[in-house]
Amino acid sequence: MQNNPTITEIATTEAQDTEEVNAFRLRAREWMKGNLPPRLPHEAGNDFDDAELVARDRVIQKKIYDAGFGGHQGITVPVEYGGLGLDQRFEDVFLEEATPYRLPWSYGNATNIAMPCILGHGTEEQKRKYVRKILDGTHLWAQLLSEPSGGSDLAGVLTRAERRDDGNWYLNGSKVWTTGGHHCDMGLCLARTDASLRKHAGLTIFLVNFHQPGMTVNPIKLVMGGTEFCQEFLDDVVVPDEDVLGEVNGGWKVAQTQLASERKGMARGWHVGMHRGEVSQHIEPAERYGKIARKMGTDKDPHTRAMVGELIVYDAVSDLIGKRINAGLRAGKFHGEAGAISSLMSSVFDIDRTRLISAMAGPEGIAAVDDASANGVGMSRVSTHRIGGGTLETQMNLVAERHLGLPRELGPAPDTPFNQLRSNATARIA
Amino acid sequence: MDIELNEDQTMLQDMTRRFLEDRSPISALRKQVNAGEGFDRDVWKEGAELGWIALFVPEENGGIAESAGGVQDAAIVAEELGRVVFSGPFLSTCAVAHAIALSGSPEQRETHLPGLAAGETLAAWCLSGRGPMAGIEAGSVVAAQSGNGFELNGTAAFVQDAADADLLLVTAADGQGVSQFVIPAGSNGVTIEAMDPLDLGRRLHVVKFDGVKAEADALLGEAGKAADALEKQLQALIALQCAETVGVADRTFEFTLEWVNDRYAFGRPIGSYQGLKHRLARHCGHLEGAKAAAAYAARAVQNNHPDAAIAVSIAKSQCGRMATEIIRDCLQMHGGIGLTWEHDIHLYLRRAVSNEQLWGSPAAHHERLCQLTGL
Repeated sequence: MQNNPTITEIATTEAQDTEEVNAFRLRAREWMKGNLPPRLPHEAGNDFDDAELVARDRVIQKKIYDAGFGGHQGITVPVEYGGLGLDQRFEDVFLEEATPYRLPWSYGNATNIAMPCILGHGTEEQKRKYVRKILDGTHLWAQLLSEPSGGSDLAGVLTRAERRDDGNWYLNGSKVWTTGGHHCDMGLCLARTDASLRKHAGLTIFLVNFHQPGMTVNPIKLVMGGTEFCQEFLDDVVVPDEDVLGEVNGGWKVAQTQLASERKGMARGWHVGMHRGEVSQHIEPAERYGKIARKMGTDKDPHTRAMVGELIVYDAVSDLIGKRINAGLRAGKFHGEAGAISSLMSSVFDIDRTRLISAMAGPEGIAAVDDASANGVGMSRVSTHRIGGGTLETQMNLVAERHLGLPRELGPAPDTPFNQLRSNATARIA
Repeated sequence: MDIELNEDQTMLQDMTRRFLEDRSPISALRKQVNAGEGFDRDVWKEGAELGWIALFVPEENGGIAESAGGVQDAAIVAEELGRVVFSGPFLSTCAVAHAIALSGSPEQRETHLPGLAAGETLAAWCLSGRGPMAGIEAGSVVAAQSGNGFELNGTAAFVQDAADADLLLVTAADGQGVSQFVIPAGSNGVTIEAMDPLDLGRRLHVVKFDGVKAEADALLGEAGKAADALEKQLQALIALQCAETVGVADRTFEFTLEWVNDRYAFGRPIGSYQGLKHRLARHCGHLEGAKAAAAYAARAVQNNHPDAAIAVSIAKSQCGRMATEIIRDCLQMHGGIGLTWEHDIHLYLRRAVSNEQLWGSPAAHHERLCQLTGL
C-alpha cells in the first residue's frame, strides 16, 4: 500500500526493558540477523501483482513461526492457538528489532482482520485450526464483502447461501474488490441466508476455502494498470457447517468486528512494524518534496516553497491524527468508531497531497523524460484510496453518524424484508 | 486538547473552565464590546492568582514554574480562554514573563516578574512590523549603541495590548544580531497608536520608537545574541496561541452540532442531511488534526525536542487555517441567524481569523518549514 520510508538508524526503547523482555529482545535480534531478509528502501508493503514477493512473505511468516516467535503479529495470541501468549510489550520490542528487516506484510488481511474476527467470534475448534494456520504461514486470507451490486451498502449483499440435505452450505453469487484474491487460500464471506428477514438480519459469515472447483478468481485491471484486486464468482461453493463463523443470520455482528478491525488496522498502520512513526515520537518531514523541487529547479520559487511547506503539514498532521485517535482509543476517551476519523483523514490528506504534488511537478508529472522524472507524481495513488476500505462518503457518514451522533438519513422502514427492497444487478467486471 | 491529561492537568482544566464560565463567559465579551470597554481588570487579576502567568515565573520571583508543567499547562489554560474568546492580555503577558525568566538578570527578574505573575504589571511584546513575515521575524526596530546604553528606532505593528502595558519587551534586530530590551511603556519617544482590529476582544497597536533611550540595565541578555532566546519565546507563544485557537474552534463546533440537531428544515433536523454531515465529518477530522498538532507542539516545546520549531510551524498552519475554515462553514450552517450581530459565532470567527494571521501567517510558517528542513 505504501512505500517504505528511508531506513535510518532507529532509537529503541531498550533502556525500559525488564530482564525478561531484554532476554527476548536479544534472542530476537540474534535470530533476525541470520534469518530475515533486509528491508529494501523502495519495496512495497504488499503488492499482489508481485507473486515473488507474496511467495517470499509466505516463507518469512513460516520462519518466524518455526523459530518460536509465533509468526508475525502472533506474540500476543494465546499459546493454544499458535501464538506466544505474551503481552504487547514483547510485540513492540520484536517490531523495534525487526526495523531493518522485511516482515511478511502480505498477511495484513489475515492478521489484521481474519485473526481478530476468528478469535472474537469463532468456536474453539475454529480458533485452534485457523489462527494457527495464519501464524505458521499456511493461509493467506481475503475478505469477500463487496459485490458488483454495491460495496458501501454492505448489508445489501446478494450472494446467497443455502444449506442442503448433506449438511453443507452452498454459496452462489459474485464478490469483488478482493485484495490479492488470486493469492488467497481462505476468505471471510458475507452471504445472505434468509432474504425474508430485514436487510441486516438475514446475513451469515462463512469461512470459505478458495481452493475448490466452484470458485473462480479473476484479477481486475485498474486505471493505474495494476491487478491487485479481484472479482470472484461463486458457483455452488461448498462450506461445511462447522465453518460458519458466529451465528447463522448473525453475520452482521461479525461483519461489524471485521470492519472495525479493518479501520483499526488502517489507523494503526496496515503494515505493522513498517513505519518508523509507530516507534518514533518525533516529526520527521519527508525529504521527497524538497527532492522533487530541486530536481525541477523550482526550489527557490516562492509558489513551490509554499506547496512544500503545506505538504510537510499534511504529512505530519495525518500522522498525528492517527496517533491521537489510537491514544484516545487506548485511554477509553473515544469509542471504537473514532477509528473512522483516521481513515477518513488519511484519504482526505491523500487527495490533497496528490493535488499539491501534481501542481508542484507541473508538466513533468504527466509525461516522463526518464524513469525518475515522473516518480511519485501524477495519477499515482489517486485511484484506490478514496474507495477502498469504505468510500470517502461512507467514511464521512460513519464519522458524522457514529462519532458525532448526527441523525441518520431517512430510508425505507427498517423492518422491511430484504426481498422487498430494490437492488442493483450483478455485473461482470473482470 | 491533549488526549491524555494527567490528574493535575485535568484539575487545572476543570478549574479554569469553571472560573471562566462564572467570571468571564462569552456574554462578558459582548458586554465589554457594547460598552466600548477593554478587558476586565478584576477578572484578569483573579486569573493571575490562579497561576496563569506564574507558570512561567520561577518560585524565587513569585511563580510556580518549578512545580508546574510550563507550556503544556499554560496550553490547557489557553484552550479554555479560547472557548470563551477571553479578552485579557494572556498571550502577551505570558510571552514577556517567559522572555524575562529565560534571559533576565537576577535584578530584572526580581524587578518585573512578581508584578507580572500577580497580574498587576501588564506587558506587551514589540517584535516586528507589517509585511509577509510579520509576527515571526524581527528587524523593524533597530538598536544602536549610545553611550552606556542604546537608542531604539523603528516601528512595531500588531502589538497586543500596548496601550494598557506598563512594560514593553522590544526585540530589535539588524544584520549583526538580535537584542532585546525591557523598557517602560511610557519612555520618551514611544508613541502608541491603536489599530482597528477585526477581533473585538483584542487590542492591537502600532508602536513607534523615535530615538528611545534604553539604559544598559534594560538590555535582556547579551547585545546581539538573543536569536536563540527569541526562537524559544516564539515557540512557546505560538504553541499557546494554537491551543487558544483550538478552544475557539472546538467550542464553535460544539454549539454548531447542537444547532444542526435542533434546527429542522423540510421536517427533518438539518444535521440529518448529507450536505451538512459530510462537511461536519471533515471538520471533525481537521479539528482532531488541530488538537493533535497543538498538543504535540506544546509537548515538543516543553520538552525541548529537536523538532519543536517544526512542530510549532505545523501546528500554526493547521490550527490557523482549519479553525478559520471550520468556523466559517459553521456560520454558513447557522443560516441567517449566523449573520446577526446578536449571535456569538462572529465573535469566535473574528478571533480565529485574527489568530490565523498573528504570530506568522500560514504562508510565513510554510516558508519557515522549508527553511527548517533545509530547502
